[in-house]
Amino acid sequence: MIDVMFGSLGALLSNPQTMGLMLIAVLIGLVVGATPGIGGRLSIALAIPFVFGMDMTQGAVFLLTMHAVNGTSGQISSIMFGVPGDGDDAATTIDGYPMAKKGEAGRALGASITASGVGGIIGAIVFAIMIPVLEPIVLAFSPAEFFLLAILGITFIAFLAGGANIFKGMVVGLFGMMLATVGMDPQTGTARYAGDYLFLWDGISLVTCVLALFAVPEMITLAVKGGSIAAISTDNIKFSYRQIFQGVMEVPRHWGLALRTSIIGALIGMVPGLGGSAAAWLCYGHAVQSSKTPERFGHGAVEGVIAPETASNAKEGGSLLPTLFFGIPGSSGMAVMMGAFLILGIQPGPTMITQHLDLVWTLIWALVVGNLIAVTFLLFITRWVAVLTFINATMLVPFIIVLVVIGAFVNEGQWENLVILVGMSMIGYAMLRANWPRAPFVIGLVLGRIAEESLHKALDLWGFSFFTRPLSLVLIGMIVATITFAIYRSRKPSALNSAQVSA
Amino acid sequence: MNKAWKRFGAACIALGTTTGAALAEDGVDFYKGKTVNYIVATAPGGGYDSYGRLVAEYMQRNLPGSTFVVKNMPGAGHIIGANAIYASKGDGLTIGTFNTGLIYNQIINANGVKFDLSKMSWIGKAASDPRVIVIAAQSPIKSFADLVAQKTPVNFATAGLGSASYVETVMLTNSLKLPVKNLTGYNGTDDQLAMRRGEVVGSIASRSSYSNFVENGYGRFIAQIGGADKDLPQLASLVKDPGALALINLVQSQGDISRLTAGPPGIPADRMGALIGAYRKAMEDKDLQARAEKLERPVEPAYGEDVAKAIAKALNQSDETKHLLAEALKSDKK
Repeated sequence: MIDVMFGSLGALLSNPQTMGLMLIAVLIGLVVGATPGIGGRLSIALAIPFVFGMDMTQGAVFLLTMHAVNGTSGQISSIMFGVPGDGDDAATTIDGYPMAKKGEAGRALGASITASGVGGIIGAIVFAIMIPVLEPIVLAFSPAEFFLLAILGITFIAFLAGGANIFKGMVVGLFGMMLATVGMDPQTGTARYAGDYLFLWDGISLVTCVLALFAVPEMITLAVKGGSIAAISTDNIKFSYRQIFQGVMEVPRHWGLALRTSIIGALIGMVPGLGGSAAAWLCYGHAVQSSKTPERFGHGAVEGVIAPETASNAKEGGSLLPTLFFGIPGSSGMAVMMGAFLILGIQPGPTMITQHLDLVWTLIWALVVGNLIAVTFLLFITRWVAVLTFINATMLVPFIIVLVVIGAFVNEGQWENLVILVGMSMIGYAMLRANWPRAPFVIGLVLGRIAEESLHKALDLWGFSFFTRPLSLVLIGMIVATITFAIYRSRKPSALNSAQVSA
Repeated sequence: MNKAWKRFGAACIALGTTTGAALAEDGVDFYKGKTVNYIVATAPGGGYDSYGRLVAEYMQRNLPGSTFVVKNMPGAGHIIGANAIYASKGDGLTIGTFNTGLIYNQIINANGVKFDLSKMSWIGKAASDPRVIVIAAQSPIKSFADLVAQKTPVNFATAGLGSASYVETVMLTNSLKLPVKNLTGYNGTDDQLAMRRGEVVGSIASRSSYSNFVENGYGRFIAQIGGADKDLPQLASLVKDPGALALINLVQSQGDISRLTAGPPGIPADRMGALIGAYRKAMEDKDLQARAEKLERPVEPAYGEDVAKAIAKALNQSDETKHLLAEALKSDKK
């Protein structure tokens, strides 16, 4: 086992052709990831014709690296302009963009890029460790557990909104869950709130909503206010590698959080059906909930950048597991990847361990090395990228708005989404002006859909007795604990006050 | 003046003698320097997208000077893409692919359908995708007879309500009176995972999507609808009821015309000739066949008129079958 493990690493590093392909793959993956609206799935589908005729190992390494580093560059536009490229990047926007406004874009980028790399590498390690116990773990998660996990995520809203805002947070979260019901009812086949518009049958586009709620309102504010994104003048700030390095060091400072969110991300990736956005948001919620000072979140807390980024890269390692060993893809991107594996002559299934263990290790190492290359490269260029936050709004806003419009359109290729973009942008701007939290909306939209679908399935399968499944009981315990903790925390300051008064 | 008339006359004669032979050639010429949009009614990745991209790439090679651009138009279970192809201009510059199962939607006049398959311009189909009844490995059900003999209903997984997978499963299980409870919402490969977990016992699906699953020892096929493989009993041979047989036939016709390519109504005959010619050359291309085989996507082509006839036949169901189809779907709605 050990000799195969390091033999594969040696073979990978010593082959200049494979390393060259990996470099190209990293660059393509980063560019695709940085462009809003284009997902990793599309890039693999487009790259498939090029891997025909490639060697089995090289082709697989090429595609996997390209896919794995996608999330690493996605946060650049989220942090710098508040323009998330995808549903999972939106979680990074919530604290990343406020950091950029404080002139700390370099620190935020340093932290998030490092976090991505760390997440990717821990994800690969989790992958390696999990191989022997993969089957029982993956098969333990049924629709009943999906439902309870989604509910657990929704309860995090209580922490996100924080204290006095808890009512607003719930209203916004419910609004998100309400929009999650738009589309074809999974149970009765009735089109809900869709009228005659076919594009609504598959539900409201998540990417469009995220762009409308986060990116557009910030751009309107910036245009109205004038100046640049970073609210302090360039003279006061020493914009240098030092600031980026400070950001990098934030990850080891919060190593416990980074480790936990990486493992959660990898586990969520491992279980097909929950999706990447759920991983990022559950981990963001976990960061807020486990923080001693949750009120800093939403105003530029670096933990709010680290948590979703580790999760979204770690899930790649996780989602590769069921794809390789069951032949059942862990995500939509992996479904395309599996098609490509077949072309290369790799037959995913349980025989991978017995017959292709060297390939499995090569892929694990490719995840590690690819992430390292991506992180090094991005940290190196970040200095010049982050300067963009100091550009005057009159130059920047039109450019960003164009990016947002393209992002909303190309994701599904339907013009109707532009109408939704305008409508939701107005709501988003109103929420921003009235100081209502926007994160609960995305949580409601992402998890509401999962909750509804899996509740239907679970009830169909087991009726209400699904609540008594062992793993369900554990999750119910966690939900109760989270709610209790939220109530305790919101009561605590007032309890202290009254104690002082009486004393 | 005289000269001009002579020239005109000569031109007329030249035109007259060459028209017939040059009709298809004119069509081929038309595509020089033109861009053809190939609409795929799903998101990138997956069967329709792989076939669509293969077909577009090799049609471009076989239609000199043309450029094929693949456009993904996912949504509403292929209906958005099919509507878009149907509504496009019949100039031969927009064609595409979608699920043959839309035939069901048209027969029962489902919501959202804005196309008439009988009027479309049929270029060809790339594959046959026979359906199978698949059972999870850990289940004691080893044969179709075992399934019929079950005392308590067993769970079967289908994709979203209204999808082709759903329509076929409900239609067959109801008309065959199988002891099966259909659970919806298992999209993509959710059904395979559910069978591994054991919460679902079986599924009626296309053979190609389950071949890997069965090879890995996670399940077994117990009957097949259509297809050339002789390793499985044909479902039609296990059933006597004429109503059920008619529905099995309908499902079989779906399987026979899989991975189709079609354009909107009214494409001029010469351009259709050029498109069908290019499609035929693409399907006969050894490169394409080798690549399709690597993808585990078998190529069993048919062209133009043959496909149009098969579609017309599938659409032309007796009132009784239509009634059975509608009933089968209605009785399952809760």
